[in-house]
Amino acid sequence: MKFWELAKIANRNLLRSKLRTFLTVMAIFVGSFTLTLTNGLGDGLRDYVENQVKNIEGKDILFIRKKFVEPESETKPDEPAEYKEATQDEAGNTIDPNSYLVPLGQAENLSKGLTDVKTITPRYPIDGEYITLDGTKKYQVGLGTLSEGMTQKVETGKTIDGTGQIILPLSLAKAFDENINALVGKNVTIGYKVEQPSAMKTETLKIVGVATKGFLANFNSFIDTQTARKIYDEQQGKSGNYNKFDSFTLQLKSGADEKAVEALKTKLEEKGFSADSYADRQKRTYDGIGILQIGLNFFAFIALLAASFGIVNTLVIAVLERTKEIGLQKALGMGRGKVFMLFSIESVLIGFWGAMSGIVSAIFVGVITNIFLARTYLESFEGYSLFVFTFKSIVFVLVLVCAIAFLAGVLPAFRASRLNPIEALRYE
Amino acid sequence: MLEAINLSKTYTGEGVDYHVLRNINLIIDEGECAAIIGKSGSGKSTLMHLLACLDTPSAGSIMFDGEDLSTLTERQRDLLRNEKIGFVFQQFFLNGRETVFENVVLPMRIRGAEQYRLTKDAMEALEAVGIKDKEEKRAKDLSGGEKQRVCIARALVGKPKIIFADEPTGNLDSNTSAEIEKVLFELNRETGITLIIVTHDPDLAGKCPRIIELKDGEVIRDEKREINL
Repeated sequence: MKFWELAKIANRNLLRSKLRTFLTVMAIFVGSFTLTLTNGLGDGLRDYVENQVKNIEGKDILFIRKKFVEPESETKPDEPAEYKEATQDEAGNTIDPNSYLVPLGQAENLSKGLTDVKTITPRYPIDGEYITLDGTKKYQVGLGTLSEGMTQKVETGKTIDGTGQIILPLSLAKAFDENINALVGKNVTIGYKVEQPSAMKTETLKIVGVATKGFLANFNSFIDTQTARKIYDEQQGKSGNYNKFDSFTLQLKSGADEKAVEALKTKLEEKGFSADSYADRQKRTYDGIGILQIGLNFFAFIALLAASFGIVNTLVIAVLERTKEIGLQKALGMGRGKVFMLFSIESVLIGFWGAMSGIVSAIFVGVITNIFLARTYLESFEGYSLFVFTFKSIVFVLVLVCAIAFLAGVLPAFRASRLNPIEALRYE
Repeated sequence: MLEAINLSKTYTGEGVDYHVLRNINLIIDEGECAAIIGKSGSGKSTLMHLLACLDTPSAGSIMFDGEDLSTLTERQRDLLRNEKIGFVFQQFFLNGRETVFENVVLPMRIRGAEQYRLTKDAMEALEAVGIKDKEEKRAKDLSGGEKQRVCIARALVGKPKIIFADEPTGNLDSNTSAEIEKVLFELNRETGITLIIVTHDPDLAGKCPRIIELKDGEVIRDEKREINL
């Protein structure tokens, strides 16, 4: 008997007791529906993170901060902590800033003896006030620094490669000129506040590019490090923590291989710094999402497991009901393998229809939810979809559910295949 | 065609051996029409199951078409039943929800035949039993006699060498029985198919040219005679 014919017969057999088949499929439906949605939620988060970071690239970059040392605690975890009045310094910090701030000189010393290091750039905390193209119409501005070795993807123009340069976010660029290509090469003026004495200063920068849409680049304008340094000096030059930074960007010499990077990380660790690459950061976020996704999927798995017992039950009953029929088929020369296959196909079909209906419904619900949320709560998260359904995850659900269904069908199918035709034909 | 040599079947239950068949020796020639008769418990069904390759003997052997059945694998036995043997049962074993056509072609589907072959062979078989016009009907909507005709068509469709009919008229009234008997005997005479009827009905057995009578697992009578119709 050909496979296709077996499948047709299996389908007809399932349709004989429509209600029973329907109920069994419904149980699988619930599991598949949940699994598709939980997968979609995880993929939505991953997609969000990817969108957020994809436009900034830094292959040979390590992010460096001082390793945080937990203050020694005298209380055990399960004991109530004694109240101590927090001591504040004159700047209002409760934590000693020296526990996380690193003087620039110390950081720069790090590179000595480390052959693979090209540059070390601090992350300058700078605040911009406004930005203007023509000097009259001013917009609020968020300033970011594109450290040495980092590149920003652009819609037009190029990434920063010198001093006195700026990359505009797309929305701002469009506000200046609908034709963003015309902006490249023009000068903008940014305004920033300095204190002691309090004043507003300006800096004129050349537009080199307009950033591709991405989350960080949606609001921030990026400037080069030298300009950032200059603004920092003016804004923070008289602060007590001048030239102390909480994080640095370390640019590696290009061509440093993974081994060298790992060795460098270890050396930095030894010196009391933590270093991680772009990939590390991304991986950490993805790992977090992955764990969340596994946690969510776990509940869907439980639903599927329960549903698989439904399949076993349905097929065991079907074998009993069709004992004579199986006896006849075997008497007429149907082999054990074919009988086993017939019942296996029936169970996989139950799984298949459950999975298909679950997936389709989940996508439907997910897409509707996305549209609804995009209009209400997630408006500020432009481009974020709560549920993202990838082809991969859909195939994964389909294959997984069919595999579970197949396994559930093994016992009844085996029973059917082992029936003795003489006894089966006599069965009452 | 079919030869049983020192055939025995013994069931062991609760430590006691139960001899269903003892030392049966039989030769059935091609084209023969034989009735196996005996009271219930005489072993006639077991003999049929052994001859029809549905069961294996405890001792002795069966030669089917020159082949020793004991040397065959399970798969080969399945194939042999499918290709060379037709079955007609007392309780029909039809699938009532399916059409007459689907019921008839079951052995061909199991064999994996092409659709056009299926249709052609099914029509031939239905014509041979005289219910060609019923192919689209559901099996459950047929009368008893029609159902048994469908069974015979199903037994015929694969062009077997031999048909085993187990109490073929056991569920039918006397008029219908006569019709079914006629169909079976005509097939035997006209197509030369070997026919073995298992029955405890002396009337039916009396119409067969050969009668094999069993009692307590042994052949107590095996006679051939001329039948004039």
